[in-house]
Amino acid sequence: MKWVEIQIKTSKEAVDAVSNILYDVGADGVVIEDNDIDIAGFDWDYVDEDVLENIQDNMVTTVKGYLVQSPSLHDKISLIKEKVNRLPEYNLDKGPGKVETIEVDDEEWSNWKKYYKPMKIGPEIVVKPKWENYIPQEGEKVVELDPGMAFGTGTHETTYMCINALQKYMKAGMDIIDVGCGSGILAITAAKLGANHVLALDKDDVAVKVAEENIKLNHVEDIVTVKKNNLLEGIELEANLIIANIVADAIIRLMPAVEKNLKDGGLFVTSGIIKERQDDVMNYVYKGNLSLKERMEMGEWVTLVLNK
Amino acid sequence: MAKKITAFVKLQIPAGKATPAPPVGPALGQHGVNIMGFCKEFNERTANQVGLIIPVVITVYADRSFSFITKTPPASVLLKRAAGIESGSPEPNKKKVAKVTWDKVREIAELKMPDLNAGSIEAAMRMIAGTARSMGIEVVD
Repeated sequence: MKWVEIQIKTSKEAVDAVSNILYDVGADGVVIEDNDIDIAGFDWDYVDEDVLENIQDNMVTTVKGYLVQSPSLHDKISLIKEKVNRLPEYNLDKGPGKVETIEVDDEEWSNWKKYYKPMKIGPEIVVKPKWENYIPQEGEKVVELDPGMAFGTGTHETTYMCINALQKYMKAGMDIIDVGCGSGILAITAAKLGANHVLALDKDDVAVKVAEENIKLNHVEDIVTVKKNNLLEGIELEANLIIANIVADAIIRLMPAVEKNLKDGGLFVTSGIIKERQDDVMNYVYKGNLSLKERMEMGEWVTLVLNK
Repeated sequence: MAKKITAFVKLQIPAGKATPAPPVGPALGQHGVNIMGFCKEFNERTANQVGLIIPVVITVYADRSFSFITKTPPASVLLKRAAGIESGSPEPNKKKVAKVTWDKVREIAELKMPDLNAGSIEAAMRMIAGTARSMGIEVVD
């Protein structure tokens, strides 16, 4: 998709007025470049000299917004220019007040892909980006992935812990449900670990599409079924293991359905819980019929393994 | 490992709704940050503020890991909420769409003070009032 970056050079005091001009024409957020960074508030040992120099060089404050290429773009830019020029009328320093536009392609920021390398997680699983080559060692199972615009690359702590938990607790022949499957990474991992059947659910159309592509890429179409669905609503299937790497609030909402959809003795592996929310989830667990089997922690995130 | 900072990125984005689309994608992608990882954590931390735009300062480290802190919503967003409007006036110089009192301007200035580096509350109020007028919101006694 083609986007247009609109750069507005202004003053520090006009930042909120300028960003609002961009919001009013439909920008979904802005980037601000200035020299107003209080580095005392961060956890660090040392700072790249270039970064400090750049901050000091930013005597001018720049606000950047992005709009999709469209026929009305020209009018929007004229309106932005006019509004910026009028800022002094409202007793605000507009600074240089310069408005510039640059065309950008969304391919340009997929830079992070080049840092995404094959990654071994636990004793058996290797998560490999589609564009990388990898020759598996004996006993390794490769999960191939093109995350596209969906969640789940294996580099995130929660995904990492879930893949570890699957290797620890899953047994071949199990029926699995993956709630909030994103890229399909956990469903595919379960299939590679010998699941009998995996039902992968996500409420997001993009995720369902990306998951379907990844499932084909890994040749596990016979084992994994993807369905657009909100949590476990309307799902009758009973599973030996349910996995949900989502967010705390959704997990709490999901819990009663998990108890219903889990076979006796079944396991619920859940993550996406940020540390400060774990008590909220645990309070709910104590009220229900599941017991805590294991709690894992990595960075800011917690994974729970619960037993029915 | 010593934590070396390689970039600071300042954004204003909707609470609970960060996506890899601009501005998040281009701003973080150029530093090699896992964009999805940021979106997931930002959305979870700001889930209780949905409907507001939140300023966030992201620190990128040499290993491309990141941390971030969120700040108070921009003055324009607080003003819209105070005035009960969805967007500013298309012609703020001619057409006024709402009113706020100086007491409200002071209240917003006090809330924003820690993030503004404005020097004094009067300077902060002048900035908030200017932002209000630029949106077609009249400031009244």
